[in-house]
Amino acid sequence: MGSVTRKKTLSVIALSAMIGLLLLPIIVAIPALASGGGEPAAGAPPAEAAQKEGAAKIEKARDVYYKTEGIVSGAPAPKTADNAQFYPRYNFESRVLLWFANQQHLYYGSFVLAVPIFCMVIEFIGVVTKDKAMAKKYDQLAYDFIKISLTAYSLTAILGGILIFTFLTLYPAFFGYLSSIFRPVMHIYALMFVAESGTLYIYYYAWDKMKEGLMKWLHLSMSVVLNVIGTLLMFLANSWIGFMMSPAGVDEQGRYLGNIWHVIHTALWNPLNVHRILGNMAFGGGVVAAYAAYRFLSAKNDEERAHYDWMGYIAMALGVAFLIPLPFAGYWLMREVYAYRQQMGITLMGGLLAWLFIIQATMIGILFLSSNYYLWQALGRMRGAERFQKWIKYFVFILVVGFLIFITPHTIVMTPAELKAMGGQQHPVLGNYGVMSAKNGGINVIITTTVLTFIWYMRGNKVPAVSWSKFGNIFMGVFFFFAYVNIIWLAIYGYYIPANVRVGLSVPQVATTLSCLFFMTALNTVMMKGAKQLGPIEWGKISVRSQYALIMLATAFTWMMGLMGYIRSSVRLFWHVNEIMRDNSPWAYTHTVGFGANMISFNVLFFWISIMFVFWLGTLGAKKAPVEAKVPVPGRAPEPAVGH
Amino acid sequence: MKTLIGGLLGGAIILVLALLSVGILPATSLKLVEGYMPMQMLFELGISVLVFALMSRLLSMGGISLPRFWQGILFWAFILLYLKFRVYPPIPFSVRAMYGTVALIAVFMWMSSNEEDWKKFKQPILNVLDAGTPFHKALRTTYLIALPIILWGYSYNSFLPNLDEPVELRTVHPAPPASTKVHGKTFVLQTSQNPYRVNPEGKYDQEYTNSKIVEQAMGRLLKPEANPWDEKAEGYLKYVREGGEIFFQNCHFCHGDNLNGRGLHAFAFNPIPANFTDPGTIAQLQETFIFWRVAKGGIGLPNEAFPWASVMPPWEQHLTTDEIWKVILFEYWHTGYYPRTWD
Repeated sequence: MGSVTRKKTLSVIALSAMIGLLLLPIIVAIPALASGGGEPAAGAPPAEAAQKEGAAKIEKARDVYYKTEGIVSGAPAPKTADNAQFYPRYNFESRVLLWFANQQHLYYGSFVLAVPIFCMVIEFIGVVTKDKAMAKKYDQLAYDFIKISLTAYSLTAILGGILIFTFLTLYPAFFGYLSSIFRPVMHIYALMFVAESGTLYIYYYAWDKMKEGLMKWLHLSMSVVLNVIGTLLMFLANSWIGFMMSPAGVDEQGRYLGNIWHVIHTALWNPLNVHRILGNMAFGGGVVAAYAAYRFLSAKNDEERAHYDWMGYIAMALGVAFLIPLPFAGYWLMREVYAYRQQMGITLMGGLLAWLFIIQATMIGILFLSSNYYLWQALGRMRGAERFQKWIKYFVFILVVGFLIFITPHTIVMTPAELKAMGGQQHPVLGNYGVMSAKNGGINVIITTTVLTFIWYMRGNKVPAVSWSKFGNIFMGVFFFFAYVNIIWLAIYGYYIPANVRVGLSVPQVATTLSCLFFMTALNTVMMKGAKQLGPIEWGKISVRSQYALIMLATAFTWMMGLMGYIRSSVRLFWHVNEIMRDNSPWAYTHTVGFGANMISFNVLFFWISIMFVFWLGTLGAKKAPVEAKVPVPGRAPEPAVGH
Repeated sequence: MKTLIGGLLGGAIILVLALLSVGILPATSLKLVEGYMPMQMLFELGISVLVFALMSRLLSMGGISLPRFWQGILFWAFILLYLKFRVYPPIPFSVRAMYGTVALIAVFMWMSSNEEDWKKFKQPILNVLDAGTPFHKALRTTYLIALPIILWGYSYNSFLPNLDEPVELRTVHPAPPASTKVHGKTFVLQTSQNPYRVNPEGKYDQEYTNSKIVEQAMGRLLKPEANPWDEKAEGYLKYVREGGEIFFQNCHFCHGDNLNGRGLHAFAFNPIPANFTDPGTIAQLQETFIFWRVAKGGIGLPNEAFPWASVMPPWEQHLTTDEIWKVILFEYWHTGYYPRTWD
């Protein structure tokens, strides 16, 4: 016994030392960061040399965003011209090549950042679950997830390399400038990759060794470290795109002013961070759910079907849990874009790119519709859930009305004859649906209905047995009724008040939706304690349509991510770095909507083909899962892991 | 009795729609009330769904049940006809196509929400494919002959020369430049302010001026003590009056005396001039955006505003900067909208 304890203690110390060593480079780098940024940027005279040359030569300039004064410590942004020096090229559009490399890297990057977060959550549920069989199932699921992620991780690194080579080969002047600005944190970024890889490998390979007691908790805490590093990595990468969209920390000529924090912390950095975390999670959930759906559809026996049905459900629940707050994060991002540059906001939502936003709204709607559809289909595997079926058509109606309003365009495609027949550019009905006030109402109605569907799903095969169940049901019904009334009323009221107040109205609307999400699911969970079971959940006995809905969900996520990335990047129009470095390549124009859509579809297709290969690789080295891990758990729906 | 009630309820809605569709009943005979149109349309659709559900229930209680397949198909047809013939002014095809597709998806979701319904929905299709009875066999043969002919017709049509004007994706609100130069002075659109939007102390005051605008309700009402045409009116209200005078001397010929884009010359243009009373125009924009558009006119539209379908003159050639600001002040005052701000 004593030797076991000593062995454990030594392992803990060894592991802590290893993590400490992995994090050491970052800690060492922090003082350089705090002092304002390591080496000076490209083209600038070294700081010491400048001092020797005399204080008179120190030039000061004003930060374009923060409006603070700083010492010029970098060269101006290069003024490029359309020639091979600035834009070397193959006999092909360089921008499209870069688009492809970037998008693929981002897909894989998102996936490998999201999956460890799921692993952390699922492993945690496994640790705290008292039911031994369930705990093992969760643990196995988390392990399956990380295994997929590991292969994808190396592919992410390869794609990252391809991306950098593409930048260096095709856009050397721009990449040189960007890396000169971010030089103080470039090495931190690289070192964090080392830390991320190290932690990931220990986490994966130590799974079996650290499966009991304290070691399991330590293993779990390692996943926290892994995710912290991963998130910081993403924040750093986001600071580059934030800088390109809303530069700060440089003067009007693009000269670095010595404060790296200003360069990182641009106007759009934080909204981008939040939006990307949530987006990655939803995307990761979707990809894993599609994987499970594919395995379900190709399953050879009931056991496999039951296992992958359950896996698909968990992944979908996780994905949707992060999908629900995503529109709100997107709304915040857009609000900040408008606040940063009105013209950028208008280009996005009312001008040149407005139709892409309509496509985006359509994709968001498809995501929610698919999630609801999946849950309705999932009711089919529960005995006792038949009582809910007759109400589904009303849910469909409410969802679709919200959806139609959400996708109504402000800029309508029409022939001049239709324009004339309409009596002007503004339609008295559609014109009202095409603006933000109505759209906010539409999306909140959709989300609230999704929450309601989920609560019904949780009740599928159960009837609450608590003494106050009647009161609880009435309270819940009234709560939802007034939530709908409040959302719709605020959407109408939005037309009668100033725009800045209207923007603020989204807060009570969102609060209403989130109240339904948190309070009502919590209330429902309490009401379902010791509920009367009407019948078992028959895992695996779900319609194949539900699995196609999951595949649809994942495809829509992927497509939407490609679309939003394209929109975000296109909004800079003919700038590499907005208002600082002009894009003078022959491709500094905005593609047609059709070309953009085709390119996004190609990227989606390529990603899915390559990820299928990754999944196939994962199955090659798979040990046969323990039989008990695949036994369907009778009569029990696993609660969604997060957010509900 | 129940069957009769059910049939009558649903039949009434279908009859009205049929009369609207064939033009016996003019589209405008069932009024869409201005200002309430969007909610009225949703309300009518909601009521129709409830009535159809009730009809279906009453009919099935009376022993008559419409097959699932036809329920779905007919409901979809109802939505398409409603959008085409009930709503006026007519909805452009692109939007109807979007709505119709979503409605079709909705019907699919409804019909396949559970296994039993899905089987019922599929059955008529499978019957035709299986051709178990002479009727179904005949139907299958008909499809076999008709489908290629329809496809041929479609292909033939698409190859015919089309003389219709092409579809346009006109950008209603093109993104403005960061700054604009008018009469030698540069205005930064993000930060410039209307110099006449002032309180009695002469300071820029959005809140004060907002409180004086025409109230939007059933009709538009002057706020008490806020009549710009009062001889004693000073400050903001006086500028609104001056803006109004400029508007009626220069703008109302096209934009209309009610600012709804239906002026004397409006219908000589396509599209007709902007309707300021619509919540999608000036209500969505900063005053500086309007300033830029008024000053530079149609000719000053940026590339992305293709096809530049605007005959608005560049008013900087006819009005002073102050006059432009005042006329904008009047437009917001009269429509009861507040300019967009970012605080």
